[in-house]
Amino acid sequence: MLELQGLRQTFNPATVNEVRALQGVDLTLDEGSFVVVLGTNGSGKSTLLNAVAGSFFLDEGRIRLDGHDVTRWPEHRRARLIGRVFQNPFSGTAPGMSIAENFALAARRGRPRGFGWALAPDLMGALRDRVAGLRMGLENRLDNAIGSLSGGQRQALTLLMATWLRPRLLLLDEHTAALDPKSADQVIALSDEVIRRDGLTTLMVTHSMAQAVAYGDRIIMMHRGQVVHDFRGAEKRRLRSEDLIDRFDEIRRREQLDEGAAAMLRELYV
Amino acid sequence: MTLLIGALTLGLILSLLAMGVYVSFRIFSIPDITTDGSITLGAALAAVLLVGGTSPILATAAGALAGALAGALAGVIHTRFKINSLLAGILVMTALYSVNLHVMGRSNVPLLQANTFATQGERLGQSLFGTGPLHVLGWPVTPGDLAVLALAFLAAVGAGVTLYLFFRTDVGTAMRATGDNPQMVRALGADVDRYTILGLALSNGLVALSGALLAQYQGFADAQMGIGMIVWGLASVIIGEALTGSRSLGLALAGAVLGSVLFRLLVAVALRWGLNPNDLKLITALFVFSALVLPRFLARRRGGAPAA
Repeated sequence: MLELQGLRQTFNPATVNEVRALQGVDLTLDEGSFVVVLGTNGSGKSTLLNAVAGSFFLDEGRIRLDGHDVTRWPEHRRARLIGRVFQNPFSGTAPGMSIAENFALAARRGRPRGFGWALAPDLMGALRDRVAGLRMGLENRLDNAIGSLSGGQRQALTLLMATWLRPRLLLLDEHTAALDPKSADQVIALSDEVIRRDGLTTLMVTHSMAQAVAYGDRIIMMHRGQVVHDFRGAEKRRLRSEDLIDRFDEIRRREQLDEGAAAMLRELYV
Repeated sequence: MTLLIGALTLGLILSLLAMGVYVSFRIFSIPDITTDGSITLGAALAAVLLVGGTSPILATAAGALAGALAGALAGVIHTRFKINSLLAGILVMTALYSVNLHVMGRSNVPLLQANTFATQGERLGQSLFGTGPLHVLGWPVTPGDLAVLALAFLAAVGAGVTLYLFFRTDVGTAMRATGDNPQMVRALGADVDRYTILGLALSNGLVALSGALLAQYQGFADAQMGIGMIVWGLASVIIGEALTGSRSLGLALAGAVLGSVLFRLLVAVALRWGLNPNDLKLITALFVFSALVLPRFLARRRGGAPAA
């Protein structure tokens, strides 16, 4: 379904701000798999997601999605295949427009837009039902500006928008990180429900070990722009938060050792 | 009374300018100075065509279309060549000054003998009500002036309703969202650059339409007539927002029309009271400045954070 080959990306090359965000990432996602991406800050996990979404063009590597080579496709073209929820609740919705109008936009994701009435009656009917399913009482506020809603409500609606037309790939970029714990639980549970119901191929970046353990069928652990661990199947199901924390500690120790060794070598030979 | 009707007619004609500025400034948050050039372009092209004997409808449409092209050009410079939107507008406006002189062949084209909307309107009024003055609320009014006012009203309302309907379609909704949250629009599969170009074309098309009608109403097109027009448009939009007090689309468009008319009335009254016409642009600029700054200043005084 999604095939990443040798992704490399360096931001601000040859400057003091040089960041080697991706250093050779290979990854293949099977149809219908729900993959959780874990990693420390600056490990490249969000960059990986943005690379797939098309926020920038890669220095090196190829991306195949649903049988298409999308490596050089601009973001808006890939959106035909990809549904996306951002970390920032403000990123996924147009605040000055009504809930209904936001959904009218989502209902034509990747499709040509013409001079048809945006708020068509059949859309409104379906919208009321689906929004009522959120149990947030928003179905009676479809004419309200989305900007007046809470972060949790906005993320729930963004998720609904991203999956309104079944996407071939769903990208969730730490989409609960900016929410209060209760809303975060609500949104992650809703995400899981939608992903299972529609059998969506999903790539979810998260900071939360608990989420990584509880959801999805595969965990990718990233560090310094590379995939360092890949847990799947029975191994993923056995995994506990403590195991993941141990793995992170292991990486950190190895790194300290590397730095110590490097310092020693410098002392000896330089 | 003639003064009042004149101010109303002018306000209605310039409400098309205000709606154009609303599209660029409020929907896309771009202060688009192309406006100053495209209003003259619309006037110049329409005037030249009218003098050549083209029908008023065709000449006006051609003027509007030329303005739309100018706006699209500013949009292309801004999006495809990544040039700051303000600079893109300045470049196109500056270039248009020469273009406009070439279109007209000189700096001023009078429409004394030409068949225009204004002359057609007057004839229509006279055929309906005769040549004698009518009495409206006890004031004498010529039927011609009244008919021209009615035509300007139809143009403003027609453009406003069309614009409103357009912004409720799929394309129009995507266009509004582009100004509101471009990141989201990209994620939903729409090309932000294309919608920005389309939006500036729409804005400047309206502005040039306003220019084409203005030339016919005042009876000439002039290379200098566009100077400061964007500020007049902004003033109208801001007055309109104060009047309707809402950011909802329909009210905002209605507000732009009302704002333009009220602004023209205020100008007419001020001039009547002996305001030096040379000071008009200075005062308008000061007005727009204070209208933009006052809300923020008041919010700070109240101790609240300024609106984002």
